This record gives sequence, structure tokens and C-alpha cells, in this order.
Amino acid sequence: MSIIYSLRNVVKSRLVDGAGFRLNVPSVDIRAEENIALVGHSGCGKSTLLDMLAMVLHPDSAEQFTITPRDGQSTDLALLWQKKKRNHLSMLRKQHVGYVLQQGGLLPYLTVRENIELPRKLMDMPEDDSTRSLARVMGIHRQLDKLPGLLSAGERQRVAFTRALSHRPSILLADEPTASLDPITARKIMAVVMELVKGLKITMITASHDWAHVYKMDLRSLHQEAAVVENGNVYQSTFRD
Amino acid sequence: MSQFKNIVSLSFRDYSHEWRMSGCFVLALASVLAPMMILFGLKFGIVSSMINDLVQNPENREIRAVGSGRYLDDWFVEYAKREDVAFIIPKTRALAATIQLKSKTAGRIFSTELLATADGDPVLEMAPRKPSGFNEVILSESIANKLDVRKGEQIDGSLARQFNGKRERVHVELNVIDVMPDHVIDRKIAFVSLDLLLATESFKDGRAVPRLGWTGDDARGLDREYPSFRLYTRSIFDVAPLVAELEDQGVNVKANLAQINTVQSIDRNLTIIFWIIACVGAVGFSFSLGASLWANVDRKHKELSILRLVGFQGGKIVLFPVMQSLYTGMLGWLLAVLIYLMAEQSINQLLAPSLQIERVICYLQPAHFFWALALTLTVAATAAVLGGVRASRIEPSDGLRDI
Repeated sequence: MSIIYSLRNVVKSRLVDGAGFRLNVPSVDIRAEENIALVGHSGCGKSTLLDMLAMVLHPDSAEQFTITPRDGQSTDLALLWQKKKRNHLSMLRKQHVGYVLQQGGLLPYLTVRENIELPRKLMDMPEDDSTRSLARVMGIHRQLDKLPGLLSAGERQRVAFTRALSHRPSILLADEPTASLDPITARKIMAVVMELVKGLKITMITASHDWAHVYKMDLRSLHQEAAVVENGNVYQSTFRD
Repeated sequence: MSQFKNIVSLSFRDYSHEWRMSGCFVLALASVLAPMMILFGLKFGIVSSMINDLVQNPENREIRAVGSGRYLDDWFVEYAKREDVAFIIPKTRALAATIQLKSKTAGRIFSTELLATADGDPVLEMAPRKPSGFNEVILSESIANKLDVRKGEQIDGSLARQFNGKRERVHVELNVIDVMPDHVIDRKIAFVSLDLLLATESFKDGRAVPRLGWTGDDARGLDREYPSFRLYTRSIFDVAPLVAELEDQGVNVKANLAQINTVQSIDRNLTIIFWIIACVGAVGFSFSLGASLWANVDRKHKELSILRLVGFQGGKIVLFPVMQSLYTGMLGWLLAVLIYLMAEQSINQLLAPSLQIERVICYLQPAHFFWALALTLTVAATAAVLGGVRASRIEPSDGLRDI
């Protein structure tokens, strides 16, 4: 399988007066259709790493940071950030990434259907029944004409997953997608998502600390270790293969 | 293009979804704009027309000859042509310019001053038609009341003289073609054509007026000389220079120069005051609108971040708050115009009778509404662009996890 993300010595710091947090990725390669879990306690930099993979946060420095989605076109993300090619990054994000936030991140003024179809509309994809069939698989086909405000937390996360998958991206990123749900609902949703991702040949990277053990067999966890460095001023979190 | 269309439609969906909040912004805008429009309505209505009345008042524009001079027809023609002269007409000697008026209903005969008039006479601006020929007259209200006559009725005018040792009296039938109210002219005056005034003078001087069948000495071949004149400048600003010029020529004149100075300084000061109010109002309005729309962009931070996460470009995202600000500007302006129009109606209908004037008190021209809209939309768009550009520069990940 080809490598979809390749990171070498990627660093992102959040320092105030030399003290604070630093994320360090010496070497990570993620292959296409892999199912990755970022496991670790809160504050260890899972969201920061996901945001960089989603191209919404720029790395401080990177020896190598490339994305090679399904179309085979390899792009140097570190260079795009350096040259401030924000529109190019937007385009890559639009085409290849679906992102699920912990709190859904649905637009409250659009119906469920419109939320789901927004990424497709942005890519000028034709209107077909794929939204409906995807919604049926996710178990929200009866909610399509409602506003997100009327849905339960679990339903909202189902909608968020559906939206993230509607334009058939190469990559699905999910940041603690089930943290605000009860364990039973969480497991039900993730079971469906795992099935879908496998069927659609999508690379999935999920930050989590609760349910990952359930799917140990199907997931690869990145190793995470933390250390206090620089005279106790900097909390450094490292992810590696 | 598809991003542009999507952003415009999304911004509208959000705006109508949040109709309570949007309504508050619209109300806030209208409640600052409407009073400003009413203030300007009063400025362009009652204040302007009062100032205009003072500036245009014929009394203030009049230059009167003092004493008696000798002015020829050519002199009048020359002055009538001038840019700064609105109207000039000869006067005859005061003694010759009186007529005895009698009506059927009043018991007495009234000796009344005659003034010559013609088209363009500022004193008779209200009269659509001026007297012409020998049988028409416009009366001031005070003499018309004494004679107990109204417009359209007939009166008898008569003149007397001592000629060749005999006392003679001639009569002329006069149609009252108009009556001028007191506020236009408060003396007892009969306005007639210059021809009739000159005929009157001829008769009193013992000369013949063949056209009226009045006998006397033959006056043919003599050049007319006029002892005096009535002159009105175009505006009060022309009075002082023209007075100086006439006095340089040795013409002794009088004008209401003190009154003119007062009017000019009132006009100047009121203009300054209104500009101050206008500037303070416009700046205050801009800041209040700008601040609320800027704050709205900050409030939208998370949703803008989500739109960028979905793949909208940063530059296009700016359109989102800008469009919403334009909606607010448009609707707020509409509401302000509605409030203003209702206020205008009420003010004009409630106050006009008590002020006993016919003119409008509150008034704005269509162009003024347009300027209010232009100012509103410019401020709205500027505030939103500034806020939106700031929002688009912040990394999208920053807004995603706002609580």
C-alpha cells in the first residue's frame, strides 16, 4: 500500500515565554487505507496533530510533511505553508479530507441534508441518492430535513460522520468523535463507521482514549510518550510509528 | 464562482436562522439612523424654508431711492438687464401717485397710494397675473377690507386736479384681479400697470391722456423723467455691493443693511451648526454600526472556521460577514426610512396647523435617502471587511474548539 502521509521531524510548539507544550513527530508514515488510532490522555497533542494532518494548522518546522492522496499526486505541505499557499491548502482539504469534531461542528442554520451535501456542493458534485443511502447506513435517514438543533448528541455525531464522508474523501480525520456520547452509543456509531471506511477504502485517523481497545485487532496505534524537558519548562509529547 | 454563490446563500441562511439576533442589529441601526434622518428632515424642511424666506424676502432685497432724482428710460433698461437686479420699475412723485377708491358697499372714499408693477415683481410673487392696461388693480388686504371688496369685484377710481382755474375729476373703472395678504404687504396700496400710473401723473400735471379721453396740454415730444424707482436685487447678498455702486454714481439710496447682516449671520451660523451635528451624527452612527458588526464577526468565528474546514477559501470567507452586514445595512435603512416617513407625516400633519403655515415642516429629497443608504452600506461593508479579513487571517484550527 502506498504511503498517504509522510512526516519527518515535524514540530509544533505552543510556548509562552519559553514555557509550555511541544508536539514532536520524529517519523510517522501512514499508509493508504490504514486505520490509525492516536491514543493518549487529554492534552497530549492529539488534536494538534490531527489539525496539522487536516491542513488547518501550520507546523513550526518540518523536515518532511507530504500528503499523497488517492489520485497519486504527492504534495509538500510544509512548503505550501511556508509559501502561504492557503488556497491550495483549502483545495486539498476540500477534496481529500473529511473531518469530524468532538462537538459535531454542524452548521445550525442548515438542515441535516444540506449539512451533509455542503462538501459535495463545494466540489460541484452532482446531486444523486448517495446522500440518502449514506444517511440510511448511518441511521439518520429520517432526520434529513431537520435542523441539527433538534437532534440528540449521538445523532449529531452520525450526521458529522456522514458529512465528512459525503464527498468520498481519501482521508477521514476524527477528533474524539464519541467523547460526549455514552459508551453503548459510541460503540454502535464506531462500528458502522469502521465498516464504511473499510468499504470505501478510506484512510481513517482517530484521536481517542476510550473505545480504541475494542477494535485493537483492526487498528494501529501510534506510540505516544511524554517528557518534561528544558529545565521543566516544556512539556514535550512525541508520536512515532 | 460556486464558492461565491454558496457563501452568499449560506450567509443568508444563517442570517434568517438567527432572525432574533439579526432583528436586533437591524433595530439598533434604524434607531440611530431614523432620528438623524428626522433631524435632517427638519433642517431641509422648516429651517431651510425659514432661512430661505429671510434671504428671499423682498423687503430685505429692496433698494429705495431717497429724495427725488431724474432717471430716464435708458437708465431703467440698463439696470433691468443686470445679473444682480431681479426687478426695477419707476415711481412717480408721491403726490401724483394717489388715487381715490370707492366701492359700492363701503360708504367712504379712500385715498390710496398707487404703485406700478409688472411681471417679475417680487412683492406680488403670489399673484399669478399682474395688472395690465388701464382697468386692472391688485389691492393690499388692508385697503380691500376697508373697501369691502374681494377678488373679481369692481371698484371706482377717481382723480382730481385744478386745471385752467377749474376743478376737474375723472373716473376709471378698476377690476380687482387679486388681493395680497397682510404678510406680503401691510400698507394700503393699489398696484397698477405702469401705464395707468403714468396716466395718473399726466392728468395731475395737466397733460392730456388721449387713450383714456382725458383732456389737457399736449405732452407729445417730451422725454419722460422719473423721480424715483423701486429696485429688488436677486438675493440679499447683492444688496450691499449695489448700494455702494449706486452711491458712487451719486444716487442716494437706502436698504435694510442691518437686517441683512443679521439674516446672513443667522444663515451662516445655522449652516455651521448643522454641519457639526451632521458630522458628529455620521461619525457616531459609523462607530455604533461598525462596532456592532465587528463584534458580530467575532461571534461568528467558530462557524467561519468550520466553513474553512469544509474547504472554503479564506478570502471568500470574508464575504460571509460582509453579506450579513449588507443585509443589516439594507434592512436597517429600510426600517429607518419607514420610521422617518411616519414621523414626517405626523410632524407635518400635527404641527402645520398650529404653526399656521402652508409649507412642509419636515422634508427630505430622494437624493437624501440615497445618501443615507450609501453611507450605511459603506460603513457596514467596511466594518465587516476589516473584521472578516482579521477572521480569515487567523488559522482555521483556532476557532474550531471555541466553547
